[in-house]
Amino acid sequence: MTDAATTTETVFDVRDITLRFGGVVSLRNVSMHMNRGEILAVIGPNGAGKTSLFNSLTGVYEPQEGQIDFTNRNGRTIAVIGKKTHRIARAGVSRTFQASRVFSALTVFENVKIGAEDHGGIGVVGAILRGPATRRGEHASDQLTLELLDFVGLRKDANLIASALSYGGRRRLEIARAIATDPDVILLDEPAAGTNPSEKLELAALIRRVRNERNVSVLLIEHDMKLVMSLAERIYVLNFGGVLAEGTPAEIRSNQAVVEAYLGTSTNEGAA
Amino acid sequence: MRRPEVKRLVTVLMVMAMVTLMTGESGDASTPPTTGPHGAFFEKVSYFGLFRARRWMVFLTLGLLAYGLMFLYQRYSPPVRKRIRTVTATPKRLVQMRSSRFAVYAVVIVIALSIPHLVTQSYWMYLIVEQVGVWILLAEGLNVVVGFAGLLDLGYVAFYAIGAYITAWMTGVLPAPPLFHHAIPTLWVIPIGVLAAMVVGIMLGIPTLRLRGDYLAIVTLGFALIIDDYVGNQNGITGGGEGSLTVPHFSVNLGVWHYHWGLNPVPYYYLCLIFVVLFVVVFSLLEHSRVGRSWVALREDEVAAESIGINPLKYKVMAFAVGAASGGFAGVLSAGLVGNINPTMFQYQASINILILVIFGGMGSIWGVALGAVFVQVITSYMDNYQPWGFQINDLYMYIGALLIIMMIFRPAGLMPSRRRRREIKDFEETGEGHLDEVLTGDEI
Amino acid sequence: MGFAHFWLSGFDQIRISFWAYLFVGLQNGALYAMIAVGYTLVYGVLGLINFAHGDVFMWGGFGAAFLTRGILGPSVATGWATVGLVFAGLIMGGLVSILVAVGVERVAYRPLRRRHAPKLAFLISAIGASYFLETLAGKEFGYGTNLFPAQVFPVGQTMFTVFNTPVRTLTIITVVAGAATLVVADRLVRATKLGRGIRAVAQDSETSSLMGVNIEKTITLTFIVGGALAGAAGFMYSLQSGIEWNSGVELGIYAFTAAVLGGIGNLRGAALGGMVIGLFGSFAVPFAFEGNTQWVEIYTFLILIGVLIFRPTGILGEKLGRTA
Repeated sequence: MTDAATTTETVFDVRDITLRFGGVVSLRNVSMHMNRGEILAVIGPNGAGKTSLFNSLTGVYEPQEGQIDFTNRNGRTIAVIGKKTHRIARAGVSRTFQASRVFSALTVFENVKIGAEDHGGIGVVGAILRGPATRRGEHASDQLTLELLDFVGLRKDANLIASALSYGGRRRLEIARAIATDPDVILLDEPAAGTNPSEKLELAALIRRVRNERNVSVLLIEHDMKLVMSLAERIYVLNFGGVLAEGTPAEIRSNQAVVEAYLGTSTNEGAA
Repeated sequence: MRRPEVKRLVTVLMVMAMVTLMTGESGDASTPPTTGPHGAFFEKVSYFGLFRARRWMVFLTLGLLAYGLMFLYQRYSPPVRKRIRTVTATPKRLVQMRSSRFAVYAVVIVIALSIPHLVTQSYWMYLIVEQVGVWILLAEGLNVVVGFAGLLDLGYVAFYAIGAYITAWMTGVLPAPPLFHHAIPTLWVIPIGVLAAMVVGIMLGIPTLRLRGDYLAIVTLGFALIIDDYVGNQNGITGGGEGSLTVPHFSVNLGVWHYHWGLNPVPYYYLCLIFVVLFVVVFSLLEHSRVGRSWVALREDEVAAESIGINPLKYKVMAFAVGAASGGFAGVLSAGLVGNINPTMFQYQASINILILVIFGGMGSIWGVALGAVFVQVITSYMDNYQPWGFQINDLYMYIGALLIIMMIFRPAGLMPSRRRRREIKDFEETGEGHLDEVLTGDEI
Repeated sequence: MGFAHFWLSGFDQIRISFWAYLFVGLQNGALYAMIAVGYTLVYGVLGLINFAHGDVFMWGGFGAAFLTRGILGPSVATGWATVGLVFAGLIMGGLVSILVAVGVERVAYRPLRRRHAPKLAFLISAIGASYFLETLAGKEFGYGTNLFPAQVFPVGQTMFTVFNTPVRTLTIITVVAGAATLVVADRLVRATKLGRGIRAVAQDSETSSLMGVNIEKTITLTFIVGGALAGAAGFMYSLQSGIEWNSGVELGIYAFTAAVLGGIGNLRGAALGGMVIGLFGSFAVPFAFEGNTQWVEIYTFLILIGVLIFRPTGILGEKLGRTA
């Protein structure tokens, strides 16, 4: 049974990044870090820079200033800024998207399997010759796929076309696909968007299991305060492109500046 | 024009007017330019020796008849259609079953092998290789690029040209002397031609495949036009407008076994058949592998694909290179078959013609593309040779153009859509959703 | 040494005949600019490369040529008759082109929009429409036909001479008509309600529709504006070189290059790009190897490829349309 306590090993070390788009400053001298094994949340009003931060961590945006280091479970550190998204993904950073971007025309099984497969190398020769190594790889990814489908509860829908899934099903599928790459950290972009209270509970449980059973650190953006407060172990609050506060849920709840920034929207966010 | 019936009537009449124009007399440089349209409508035509009427009257009547039929069809057809559907359901399912697949392959191979025995005229055999066989190869290659990977390449003919010109070069029939001044037998050029095409595919792909869909189309078109212009000019290297001297026919000289491909097209047919099967098998293996799945993912949603570690550029360049291989081989085959290589064979229109074959057959469907290529090319050759109803080859493109539009509207999946593709289209049409910004595809039947 | 000689002699050639090259460049540039507007507007509003636009131009040319021949016959017009006929030709060309352009939109693009077809389907339909229009013209009018309009002014007439270089009437008419139509189009897009609708739809069609902009009407208007200019250009081109069934192909590509160079989606960019490509094409002639003008084509296509790869937003950037 894994202990939910976080270790002091740092997964993400973000130092003083600034992100500009033309004249607009999206992130201003933002520094933060993420510890291995924790469930970390990033919250803030709309436009605060949460998505920009996410995209900076995954290589979609490139901050003009500052540094981002990512350390995988083997202790290897890479600099994120300047690397392409797929490279960062292969280094161990997975993500989901706000509107679940599953591959609509593929089956549920195929969606996860694509995540499970190793995309390095050329692969053409292997695909044609189908030697023992290739077949072993296929077998392994098939196994992992079934395992993950069980994990998220989609096993019975394995042969269904992804577009036929419910909204919640697609979200779980996206998570399964994201875990299939065997990441060190998974970034969840508003996973609770559009969910009702019971779905939220299931989602929270799933996220905890992702961290506990699959050993994946979790970083999430979320607007739903109740979910955040119950799930996250540590929270960053962003506002106007900068870090407003950081701390445990209890600390954040009682932080005056945070309450002001939200101006009472926090109580409304819980509603479906 | 609110009422749908009125709208439909007008549409039918306009379509009829267009058909009248399309099937009418052709204009000519020697006659006044109004002859064509004028003749289309006002020419007096006799029908079955029964009566003479001006064409516009005939077509107007036909149009009204068609409208009436459509009206009746709408009213009374649903039960008929349902009947048809139930009757064809079982055979359809049979064909799609896995076990019957091998039976289908076997039948096809048998048919393919027996064609030289059924077609007695050497002329037609030659056409089968030159017009159908080569173009199946080209279409399958482009299918990898467009159908599997979703990249609209309007310059695919370049790979064909490279295969052909390399053959001419290395066999010593170009003004430019071959490598090391030593001409080599044509058969040995096959791997070289394929490799050269693949290398060019990679070189071309790396800078251009970062572009988004429509820009990629234009850039590839630009390259095709440049090569078109350039090759025709380099008299010193490529033989310019007249092209090369005659490329020697294929021959095998292995000491123990001699074989020379002469003027009889049948040996070429077998050579072509072997390689068609080879490429089809290779492409099919790729389609159902990790590589093929990555292509599908990129096609569906590049951003999501990137997020799971798929390198878009790498896979797109791979698609280019793989597709180029078959095009390069087709070039070598053509050179060995036809002999004279000249720029008119490689104009950019050829790229579009190949694209038409792919679309018609069903993008991404290996079988569909092959059958589509056979169908279109056979019809084209037939029309070109026998010219029924005074048919002119250029008119064919008029019909093809119209057909492309109609196909995109009513059957974008092509001739043989697979289950997956039908799903994609249905899903996209119903919800307007899905990140289906690129090509639709499907797997084999 | 041959290389340096080549460049030097090229520049020398320009020095000698500078004004001649300039006028030819301006004349062609005006044509390209007018046609480019159609490409750029449609791309801005629909995100679609209208492959068939070059053929819209060609049909306009045929229409105008027919009309003038019908009116004037074999005679030659002078004075006010010239002015009238030029107007008639421009208008007729514009009208025919508008008809064809809107026809293409209704038949080839609108049904696809209704069905939420993927981008590729639009491109293929565009190619189909282009093939159809070209071969229909070839069939009806003859593949070998090169149709000139009537002589709305004496052929080869020069209006005046500048710096020892004759300035032909055709050049003046083309440049003036081009400038005038471009200004009108620009005003239309910038200052009128309909024009603002175009820009709104180009930026964000969903919101525009929510705010009451009639999307279908706006799209139709886009094709009308593009078509009108292309048709007018068609008439002037027919005066210059006569219209053939495939006249739209080459000019279409040049005009598209101009649109991309100037910034696709941007009307002023299209005008600017057209001028640049026209002047470039003219001044590049002395640098064509062995005097073979296909090299000018190659240079132009290289520009096209270069712009798309290195600066796809063009000179003036994608103001009207979508961003990546």
